[in-house]
Amino acid sequence: MINFLTSFSPAFILIAAGIVAAFTPLYQGRKFLMIAAPALVLVLINIMYLNGDADGALGGYFQVAGIELTTIRIDNISIIWGNIFAFAGILNGIFGLHEKCKITDTSALIYTGAGLGAVFAGDLITLFMFWELLALSSVFIVWRGGKESYPAGMRYLAMHILSGVLLLAGAVIYGKATGSYEFNNIGIDAPGGKLMLLAFGIKAGFPFLHNWIQDSYPKSSVTGTVILSVFTTKLAIYALLRGFAGTEILIYIGGVMTVFPVFFAVLENDLRKVLSYSLNNQLGFMVAGIGIGSSLALNGVAAHVVVDILFKGLLFMSMGAVLHRVGTAKASELGGLFRTMPLTTLFCLIGAGSISAFPMMGGFISKSMIIAAMFEGHHYIVFGMLLFASAGVLEHSGIKVPYFAFFSHDSGKRPKEAPWNMLVAMGIASFLCIYLAWPWGGEFVGFKGLYAMLPHDTTTGAAEFHPYTADHVVFQMQLLMGAMFAFTFLKRFGWYPPERRAQILDFDWTYRRLGLNLLKWIDAMWTRLGALIIYMLKTMFGRIGTRLYHVFSPAGALSQAAPSGIAAVFTAAMLAALLLGAYLF
Amino acid sequence: MAKKPKKNTTGLTRAQIKERTEAHPLAVPFLWLGKEKIIKNFIFVPLFGLIFFSLLGFKYPLHHPASWDFAFSYTLIGFAAYSFVVLMAWPLFKLLARDENYYGEEDND
Amino acid sequence: MNITSLYPQWVFTHGPALLVVLPLMMAVITALLPSKNAVGAKLAWLFTLGTVVVCALLAFALLMQVISHGPVSYAMGGWEPPIGIGYYIDALNAPILLLITVIGTLCMIYALPSIAAEVEPTKRALFYSAFLVSFAGLLGMVATGDAFNVFVFLEVSSISTYVLVAMGASRDRRALTSAYNYLMMGSIGATFFVIGIGFIYMQTGTLNMIDIARVLQDGGVDSRVTKLAFAFIVIGLGLKLAMFPLHTWLPGAYAYAPSFVTAFLAATATKAALYLLLRFSFTIFDPSWDFVAKSLMYLLAGMGIVGMMVASLQAIFQNDIRRVLAFSSVAQVGYMLLGVGMVTTLGLTAGYLHMLNHAIMKGALFIAVGAFWYRFGITQVSDMKGLGKTMPLTMAGFTIAGLSLIGVPGTVGFVSKLALVRAAAENGWWWAVGVIVVTSILAIIYIGRLIEQAYFHPAPKIGNKTVAKNEAPLAMLIPLWILAISAIVLGINAEWTTSLAEAAAHVLSGGPIVEFPHAVGGH
Repeated sequence: MINFLTSFSPAFILIAAGIVAAFTPLYQGRKFLMIAAPALVLVLINIMYLNGDADGALGGYFQVAGIELTTIRIDNISIIWGNIFAFAGILNGIFGLHEKCKITDTSALIYTGAGLGAVFAGDLITLFMFWELLALSSVFIVWRGGKESYPAGMRYLAMHILSGVLLLAGAVIYGKATGSYEFNNIGIDAPGGKLMLLAFGIKAGFPFLHNWIQDSYPKSSVTGTVILSVFTTKLAIYALLRGFAGTEILIYIGGVMTVFPVFFAVLENDLRKVLSYSLNNQLGFMVAGIGIGSSLALNGVAAHVVVDILFKGLLFMSMGAVLHRVGTAKASELGGLFRTMPLTTLFCLIGAGSISAFPMMGGFISKSMIIAAMFEGHHYIVFGMLLFASAGVLEHSGIKVPYFAFFSHDSGKRPKEAPWNMLVAMGIASFLCIYLAWPWGGEFVGFKGLYAMLPHDTTTGAAEFHPYTADHVVFQMQLLMGAMFAFTFLKRFGWYPPERRAQILDFDWTYRRLGLNLLKWIDAMWTRLGALIIYMLKTMFGRIGTRLYHVFSPAGALSQAAPSGIAAVFTAAMLAALLLGAYLF
Repeated sequence: MAKKPKKNTTGLTRAQIKERTEAHPLAVPFLWLGKEKIIKNFIFVPLFGLIFFSLLGFKYPLHHPASWDFAFSYTLIGFAAYSFVVLMAWPLFKLLARDENYYGEEDND
Repeated sequence: MNITSLYPQWVFTHGPALLVVLPLMMAVITALLPSKNAVGAKLAWLFTLGTVVVCALLAFALLMQVISHGPVSYAMGGWEPPIGIGYYIDALNAPILLLITVIGTLCMIYALPSIAAEVEPTKRALFYSAFLVSFAGLLGMVATGDAFNVFVFLEVSSISTYVLVAMGASRDRRALTSAYNYLMMGSIGATFFVIGIGFIYMQTGTLNMIDIARVLQDGGVDSRVTKLAFAFIVIGLGLKLAMFPLHTWLPGAYAYAPSFVTAFLAATATKAALYLLLRFSFTIFDPSWDFVAKSLMYLLAGMGIVGMMVASLQAIFQNDIRRVLAFSSVAQVGYMLLGVGMVTTLGLTAGYLHMLNHAIMKGALFIAVGAFWYRFGITQVSDMKGLGKTMPLTMAGFTIAGLSLIGVPGTVGFVSKLALVRAAAENGWWWAVGVIVVTSILAIIYIGRLIEQAYFHPAPKIGNKTVAKNEAPLAMLIPLWILAISAIVLGINAEWTTSLAEAAAHVLSGGPIVEFPHAVGGH
């Protein structure tokens, strides 16, 4: 039984389910697949993991172009990602139950499968294949957002294909130099290491490579954004953790990543875009943690990924519910929705509390691990940046999102409460956000259960960590209360900027505006140059002999095919070149 | 017209009744959250919280303080960082905001 | 079970000759068929189909024979080479023979509806006859072991191909100028080639390939005449295989020929010429000679790289679907030349593998494009709107082949591109890896543009009604899907094709072939 299970990657179950869904006309059937397939995979991977040995369960070998691929590697790190990915797949299925779109169902299943396949990849080539599949399957989800999402989807695809290409190039260089394509610690100094770091960096939203997140996620459909927010970026975190744990530059990259989105999030009006910046900011914490590379930091990263998928999904779900009911997620158009959407409000507040790391809520038990590890590693500047960013998180995700959507001034809008399936999905996520931070109970209850899953022991040794100490709770509350007071204070005196509709420029300006204009200019110049060259050729041939030219080029043929006269000249020129070469050598 | 006497007995204005009938049943007990007075005086909740936890900071000092930490240092960090982020939005908005249709890809909502 | 045991013995003894003679004879018979009515045309089609199927079976048998027993030699008319004309089949050309005959068979199935729509009834029998001549010519130039015989078959296939291209005139008059252009360029190429053969003869006094190689090896190489011969042959063949910048005949010829001809030519003609280039550069001349090595590296790899870039860019700006694919063919030839130009076993394997794989995907693409024209008269990219809805199966096949052309994992295109990247990396040609990556992105753009039109735009409306679904006939779908499925199957399990390519590369890296194998037939 186990041998059969480990003969092929569980990702293929989801991909097959996706293909079946594409041909299932009844939407009930597709919805069943959306929930059942990830659930089945969730069970299977745990069976495989429990039956594996110390290195985890390996399998799914096959050969492509002389390289042996290991498509299954379920060890104590990848099982964490596998579990939360499969679980998120189920949640997405529930959240999207009301939607009758075949394309979303199919691509969501394949996308989930690709995410899991990549996490379980034991070698770089398998990783690359699922990496590309991830991009290809998810772009359809982006495009479901409607007409406006089309160009964003194209830019999304371009970035991800580029990432895949860089990964492949890096993998080939690395494989060639080391003779092994195994996906273990790579390190930035390994041959091809920088290329792969860049490839992972694109997907992880490194500064200046991050724009695809804020560009495409807010433009996707209601369910689409929720699905997208789970896999792509967290997979990149996994890949970084596997390949580049302890790479010092990541500490600083992560530090910058936590800080800069904070400023953009305040400016943005579209609340889903605010959440996309917030996503970027949370990724920064994880990247910084990977940069430290100590067992405590890596534990923190793994825990934070689990919790982040839950609370960020929850926040995107709540904004999705608002968008679904109101038709917009722009702060300037919303306000006072708690009157008719109380449950969504409650769930959104739980998500907001979790991301802000209130004690007893998700982020508190995971983010603090990374910050503590940063302190222990004596990186005081980045430590300060993370503290600053923690206050910033409270601003954009903790206060801005729930406040402007559900409270603030009464917009007069009275939408219905979210559909039951959305409430169920949000309810489950909310419950887990609190449960996973629950301080009391036995050995595997609450946060202790989550900690038990982590790769390093948290009860003793280097990774020992206890989140619920009095000083930790008190000082975290100080930070949050200070920030909350600042909000009410600035609001009271009218210093809090109003929500205005606008396009906020980010780094993507360089290619969406500057680059585009440059291309347009080149195109115009090229057209002129082309016309000039044709004119010059014409006059030149005119001088050599118009008649000869006309023999070889029937009137108007120039535009259809290059005249054979010119081609003959080419031929002669090449022969001459070759003969000259032969003469000289 | 039948509601008129009821309004007098409950002491609710017409606008409040309208708000109640429109609201989700679960939200009715929380409608006071939308009151102008509550919003205006909400400032005292974090203020008291801030004072409370700052005082607790004396009783439970940090186990591993940084050289700059003292009993209520995180309160100040939170306040300063938050204010800085929000106040920076003013100049940044001037610098970075453009018309919504700047890239020619306007959405309709 | 051994498949070869199912064949009668004479297949192995006389196979090489039959492969060429059969289509030639059938061409005569087909030409003589009554051509006034539709029955005659149908009969001609049946005869032709039968011939190519038999040839495919023969080619398969020969490939099996070569794999299990080594090279097969055949003395035409019982005259032993080097005096008589010898046919020589080894691991280098046996896969090409199979490729040509299998693609020919698939195209022939496709030809039934396609030719009925594109060629006037009275010309059909003659058309099939011309096709058989061209088919025989291609097989002949691949199978023969005699250098002058190569020239003869090169001309046989070329001249009949000009006719076939010109037959597109009933669909688009520009086919005439394209055919004329092709004729001019093809003739220049053939002339260069025969001049080169002439110089070889002058130098060695023999025309048999093995004999030439032996004399050249014995006599040393430091001769201007040898170099001259090599230069003329490389340029002549370069023209035939559409090496950049000698490709200018190709886009026109592919764009305006009848769909069936384009599909067949794109998958086979340039491959046969490329095979000849390999044969001459590696097993007749010696790649260890300085000027051969330098021309391979600088001319083939260099021009291959330039061609990959320029032709890919040109493909992006074309409006005609077939011209997009034609320029893409020029770019893909660049990939193969790059592999060959590395002169390493890995590079040769990659180039050869890409040659086989490219035939599969380009065949499928052109077949699908012909089906678009057949149903809706579509030739322009902008007309492809809504094809995902109106011709879902055809478009799906097109998409699979297109993705393969881009090099998406799980398709043949990925296998050969990966092999090429590995070969370039092994050689230390990092810039080549970069170029492969960049041109892959360009391929995403020009193929993506087509796919995007088909799937993300609604079908056009006539009056108030959206154009209804109108799938291509079965005779078009079957060959299309056979190719599309093999693009996936051979992409996932590439062992067989890789082993063929490795065997071919093994022959090539073995240096000049100077020993005659025992001739097995013709007595």
